[in-house]
Amino acid sequence: MNVQEYISGGIVESYVLGLASAEERSEFEQMCRLYPEVLKARIAFEEALEKQALDTAIIPPADLKNKILEQINSGGKVISMQTGASAKINWLKYVAAACFILLAGSFYWNISLYNKNKKLRTDNDNTVAKLNTLENDIRILQQNPNVKMAAMKGMDISPQSYTTVYWDTASHDVYLLANNLPIPPTDKQYQLWALLDGKPVDLGMIDFDVNQKRLLVRMKNAQNAQAFAITLEKKDRPDVSAPQGDMYVMGKL
Amino acid sequence: MSLKTTYSEQELLYLLQQRNEKAFSYLYDNYSGALFGIINSIVTQKEIANDVLQNVFVNIWKKIDSYDPAKGRLFTWMLNIARNAAIDEVRSKSYRDSQKNQPFPEDVDVNISGAVTSKVSDVGLKKILSKLKSEWRVLVDLSYFQGFTHEEISKALNIPLGTVKTRIRSALIELRNMMQ
Repeated sequence: MNVQEYISGGIVESYVLGLASAEERSEFEQMCRLYPEVLKARIAFEEALEKQALDTAIIPPADLKNKILEQINSGGKVISMQTGASAKINWLKYVAAACFILLAGSFYWNISLYNKNKKLRTDNDNTVAKLNTLENDIRILQQNPNVKMAAMKGMDISPQSYTTVYWDTASHDVYLLANNLPIPPTDKQYQLWALLDGKPVDLGMIDFDVNQKRLLVRMKNAQNAQAFAITLEKKDRPDVSAPQGDMYVMGKL
Repeated sequence: MSLKTTYSEQELLYLLQQRNEKAFSYLYDNYSGALFGIINSIVTQKEIANDVLQNVFVNIWKKIDSYDPAKGRLFTWMLNIARNAAIDEVRSKSYRDSQKNQPFPEDVDVNISGAVTSKVSDVGLKKILSKLKSEWRVLVDLSYFQGFTHEEISKALNIPLGTVKTRIRSALIELRNMMQ
């Protein structure tokens, strides 16, 4: 290899500036050991670079130096080493103790990682299953020309409430999306209604946690509807066919 | 008049390895400006550049034992620590979030083409770039100041990998000539 060509080919600069690949780096280090002129070229460029960097220096804020000195003093203390025979025995003892602690730690770590991994896998399976169901629901809704949507807006007692009903006019399936509903008191629950000529028809209790599970939930079928509404009702009413509580949201088709 | 202490590189290194604070203070006084220059040519936000410089010096103090004189001079080692720390900072999520007015897409290709047109102030080492012809300037900016690999640059600018390598080499040779 022609050493002069090698030197003038740009490798010196890319090595020093940190742009050379791992392969180029180890080759260059080898060349520096073999050929003094390569090493000389490297040092010459390093010095030129240092000069350039010093010429274009920017003075940092004055208080930064003290901050750095404080930081190295709080964390960078060096402990002086003991000497002599007793120190050697101590040293071995510490090494043995450290090995034992490391081994025990790694053992514990393995077990906890294994458990964590197992739990993650189960969680992942559950999530994937949930997602598949949801995607399926959405696909059914999106591709089906019979599906109508009712955006149900909050009434005066809860203006921020908002839910959506998707109703399949052919199969009569009803899906509810609880976009935003306040958490009900423990003795109460929401109930969904279809409204036909002003008359409510029960579409079922909303017994899922409105805060946790904002998914599409299938409710009872509705044969016909002009609008949908949700009321807040006492739990365990003997007759659920007519609403008694406050209306929270309502929306026409 | 006080005597100004100067150290040879070997003395300085030996004292730093002994965790000698005076030597560290000397190192800071002599080189913080040069390292702050390279940091500021990569990190454009002042306060963040301060933090990066602080971390760089703390790391120099902590990692001095990993410096290998056979591979380069002490300053070269420090310069590369500063450059890498600044690039890591610019690529971190918190930095991107702090650039409120500049949406920073995840895709590297988009990043590079965005970076080519973005106007970054030429401070510190970057000053010398302005003297390069534009096709070389872009390549040196992307590889040295923004830390993109040759492969990423080749893909983003749609230039063959070999051409990217040769052009960067030629640009670096030109830069060296300008420095001397």
